[in-house]
Amino acid sequence: MLNYLIKRTLWMIPMLIGISLISFFIMHLAPGDITSNESAFNPKASEESRQKLRELYNLDKPIIVQYGLWLKRIVQLDFGSSFASHQRPVLWEKKDENGNIKPGLIQKALPITLLINLLTILLIFSISILLGTIAALKKNKIPDRMITLFVFIGFAIPGFWLALILMYSLGVVNQVLPISGLHSIGYEQMSKLVQILDLLKHLALPVFISCLSGLAGISLYVRNGMIEILNQDFIKTARAKGLYEKKVVFVHTLKNALLPLITILGLSIPGLIGGSVIAESIFAIPGMGKLFYDAVLMRDFPVVMGILTIGSILTLLGNLIADLAYAWADPRIRRGLTK
Amino acid sequence: MRKIIKNPMSLAGLIIISIIGILAIFAGYLSPFDPNYININAILLSPDRTHWMGTDALGRDVFSRMLHGAQISLLVGIVAVGISTIIGIILGSLAGYYRGIADTIIMRLVDVMLSIPSFFLILAVIAFLTPSIWNIMIVIGLTSWMGVTRLVRAEFLSLKERDFVLAAQTLGASDLRIILTHLLPNSLGPIIVSTVLGVASAVLVESGLSFLGLGVQAPTASWGNILTDGKEYIQFAWWLSLFPGLAILITVLGYNLLGEGLRDNFDQNT
Repeated sequence: MLNYLIKRTLWMIPMLIGISLISFFIMHLAPGDITSNESAFNPKASEESRQKLRELYNLDKPIIVQYGLWLKRIVQLDFGSSFASHQRPVLWEKKDENGNIKPGLIQKALPITLLINLLTILLIFSISILLGTIAALKKNKIPDRMITLFVFIGFAIPGFWLALILMYSLGVVNQVLPISGLHSIGYEQMSKLVQILDLLKHLALPVFISCLSGLAGISLYVRNGMIEILNQDFIKTARAKGLYEKKVVFVHTLKNALLPLITILGLSIPGLIGGSVIAESIFAIPGMGKLFYDAVLMRDFPVVMGILTIGSILTLLGNLIADLAYAWADPRIRRGLTK
Repeated sequence: MRKIIKNPMSLAGLIIISIIGILAIFAGYLSPFDPNYININAILLSPDRTHWMGTDALGRDVFSRMLHGAQISLLVGIVAVGISTIIGIILGSLAGYYRGIADTIIMRLVDVMLSIPSFFLILAVIAFLTPSIWNIMIVIGLTSWMGVTRLVRAEFLSLKERDFVLAAQTLGASDLRIILTHLLPNSLGPIIVSTVLGVASAVLVESGLSFLGLGVQAPTASWGNILTDGKEYIQFAWWLSLFPGLAILITVLGYNLLGEGLRDNFDQNT
């Protein structure tokens, strides 16, 4: 187990190098260099900020040197300052010349996106396990067909469209739920409990929209996994020795069907983080997705590169945790019986 | 083909995408109006007999724009998936057939690409380039080849050990010939499934990008940007928001049903 842990963690180093190479490559896609007017660089930028950018990315040096310097800055988690947003640092707060603390952009946005994604994952998994189990138990009967159709429609429905419809029907016409931002006016004066309720109300629609597209894959996965395991010998044995059907289904089958979900969870992280762009920009939630979208519109390159890299590192960490959790949860791996 | 029709899922999918495909191909003939013709006297008309889906804020006929939008959405979806499938087949073949260092490099590249949130990657590339329909196709294609690569590699790995491939090798067939005539045709099933499912995701990504204003640019109609234009008027012109969303939903559903239906068929065969 310890061997596996060390190997798996070291494995992240080449991955990080690969990610930095790809980000670096993307930065050089722009025609000319990213400071020139031709590359649709923000025309409002001054010559001074352009010069700063050239220095920041060492655009006057050979490309290998440029990459080396870029890698060195990533290792130190230094992503420079935003062009827009009053030159705020991209990642973490910094003191400026006057001793004032400038808050970092990602530092502010990340917890919000993590909270949304955590709630989304919880919701996706609880609904998927429920739907998948029902579908497997009623295989090829009406409930199974209905669930399959439902999750297919859920996947096909464009999130931004449903978001618009729900915003309009629940937010504007009926005013049941708030439609933008994270907090209501007067948030500071509320008691702790009301604050949490207020936050959850603001997150209800974005989380619902984000989880729809993920339902299809995972509930079909649970369904097929359950069906496969229900046909296996140890389930037949469990039934033959007279176990209650409930115990067969929920203890023996579901436990085994859920194990691979840990890996799926890891794999679904990049999709969820990327998907936050649409939900957050529609509902005006100041998370990573909105920050990224605004940066793309403003061609705020330091922020774009910073989020791209941090988003990938988060994915790597998520996969690492998922793999370790899997190794821990599966006794065959935990005891070193298989690789 | 008979199997597609027998499976209710793939049959429904096939019917849906055929209808939308025909509408898109003949958009030029079927459109009652020029999709970009601005008519100040016909602003925000609700659907009636002349304007089946009403008109937008510039008096353009929404039905005509929807038909031309279908053309754009399907074109982007199909070309993008074409690009990713070709890349996937080439890289997957190299990795699965030759193994060794090529395999290591290609599969590590796949791992790295999969760990970058793809919507971020697409948006970042578009931030550095300018959004245009060609750039969108290329970018979606270049960021979605990893699944096909893994698939082709896995198929090749299992097929390579089979007797007919060993026989061909013994007879002195060239690598290219073995790949093209023996390995690829036998892995066609899963490749087709992933291509069909890929179109569904590409249509969703394109419409999302266009909705965010970073995809197909005005005045060219796409389902995503019709919706963006329409969302300002959702309170008094529901038709501008309803139809594009439904069109995306039905198209994506069609490709998914066909893809999953085909997958069931191929799974039963093996």
